[in-house]
Amino acid sequence: MSAQYLQARDVTISFDTSKGRFTAVKNINLTVKRGEIVSIIGHSGCGKSTILNAIGGLVRLSAGEIVLGGVTVDAPGPDRGIVFQHYSLLPWLTVYQNIFEAVDSVRVDISKGEKAALVESFLKKVNLWESRDKKPAQLSGGMKQRVAIARAFAIHPEVLLLDEPFGALDALTKASLHEELVNLLQMDNRTETIVIVTHNIEEAIFLSDRIVVMTNGPEATIGDIIDVPIPRPRDKREIVHRPEYVEVHDRLLYLLMDAFAAHKKSAA
Amino acid sequence: MKDEAIIRGGWPKNTWRRFTGESLWQGAISAGKSAGYMLCGFAILLGIWAIVSGVSQSLPGPFTTLKTMARMLADPFYDNGPNDKGIGIQLISSIGRVFAGFALGSLVAIPAGVLMGASSTCRRLFNPLVQLLRPVSPLAWFPIGLAVFKHAGEATIFVIFITSLWPTLINTAFGVGSLPDDHRNVARAFAFSRGRYLRRILIPFALPHILTGLRLSLGIAWVVIVAGEMLSGGVGIGFFVWDSWNALSLERVMSAILLIGLIGLLLDRGFDFVARKASYAS
Repeated sequence: MSAQYLQARDVTISFDTSKGRFTAVKNINLTVKRGEIVSIIGHSGCGKSTILNAIGGLVRLSAGEIVLGGVTVDAPGPDRGIVFQHYSLLPWLTVYQNIFEAVDSVRVDISKGEKAALVESFLKKVNLWESRDKKPAQLSGGMKQRVAIARAFAIHPEVLLLDEPFGALDALTKASLHEELVNLLQMDNRTETIVIVTHNIEEAIFLSDRIVVMTNGPEATIGDIIDVPIPRPRDKREIVHRPEYVEVHDRLLYLLMDAFAAHKKSAA
Repeated sequence: MKDEAIIRGGWPKNTWRRFTGESLWQGAISAGKSAGYMLCGFAILLGIWAIVSGVSQSLPGPFTTLKTMARMLADPFYDNGPNDKGIGIQLISSIGRVFAGFALGSLVAIPAGVLMGASSTCRRLFNPLVQLLRPVSPLAWFPIGLAVFKHAGEATIFVIFITSLWPTLINTAFGVGSLPDDHRNVARAFAFSRGRYLRRILIPFALPHILTGLRLSLGIAWVVIVAGEMLSGGVGIGFFVWDSWNALSLERVMSAILLIGLIGLLLDRGFDFVARKASYAS
């Protein structure tokens, strides 16, 4: 079971729009092992977020199925923690309350005191314990994203789904958050399976075991899947000089800039 | 924040900055300017009023009116039987009816608005009904109220009840209906129960819209009560205006108009104050 822990089989997702039926992704076949970190990379509009939302159970499939641990996914569930693209914190709640409400809702198995301790430990892990009483509007983008990550981790999901988690952040914040994320994962001895949507090549290589490259939308599908044979722990400064890194980087650049280049002149 | 701009209405943008100390002097100048403009506005009104009353003979001038008002306010709570009560008694009676009708209307309109905003079935069912009834002057309901309650006072409260329904209902439904998918997805992803969804997501998000609706309702209720009490008679500021006309005392009518305006303003500002306290706390 572990080898085919999370599977997408012939998944097609279409939406009804005012201009008729729009097929975002078509014939997606993907198998993810338990504990694996997989990135989905592609140009904007290639449906990568759609796939992630489908795994999250937030989007209805038009065809095919997604199976998680032997069970077909058809709704959101606390076995999957989602970090949304736009943080999706509740602006009227404090940092603490944002995480506590999620923990309180999902972790029906533990007492109030244990919930409070859990929230505290995760807020400390992302260095936001001092800011626990602030509202999201008082936080920087990087801090908001750390709250969103802590919220998704704190419910102890089996699968973590990250939708362009660092897309809106500046390069320096992004780099330090990558390392924080990796630390957070290792502290947990990583039982979680992780799917990350990104449009950033360096981010994908640094974080993933495998990288799924999407063709362009509409009717986007998986163009190629690339292994990242770089051992962990990875050091951001060190890995860029490794031949494996250069090879994967070149391959990704070729796929994204030439093979599946955006129709318009690419900005990436 | 954009709702705040609507709610704050006419106050100068930097009203609060005045209290932060840093620009105390600038604040004082700005406040002084505002007060100056206000006084000039009143002076213009008084001037036009004095000229018109001088020409028309039948309209009392500002000075006789203010003298009459001073006499009314000197003993506001006297009670010489059913047709002769002080202005304070009349106003308190009207305010009481407004709040009774407003409270009842809100109790119906907020849950109904939440339903209409949250469920497209409810919206499709009831929106045509709301659109049909909303343009009807609430006074048209007065005979219905009389028939049902057999009592003019309660019929007036019924009219205010109807008045208070529509703005609250429509704004609540709009607020609830415009909940972004992002917030809804949080509830789905973290398996929020219905109760948690209402308390932590839907109500906090819709609260500014609900408060805007309530504020509009209260304002219109205060407008309608005067006309309602002209019909119902007995007691109340509307009755007082009509009774003063019958007694051919336009000074009293003019005084009542000024007092109605003043109290309407105070109700609005008071509601704004309470509403802001409430939304900060949540």
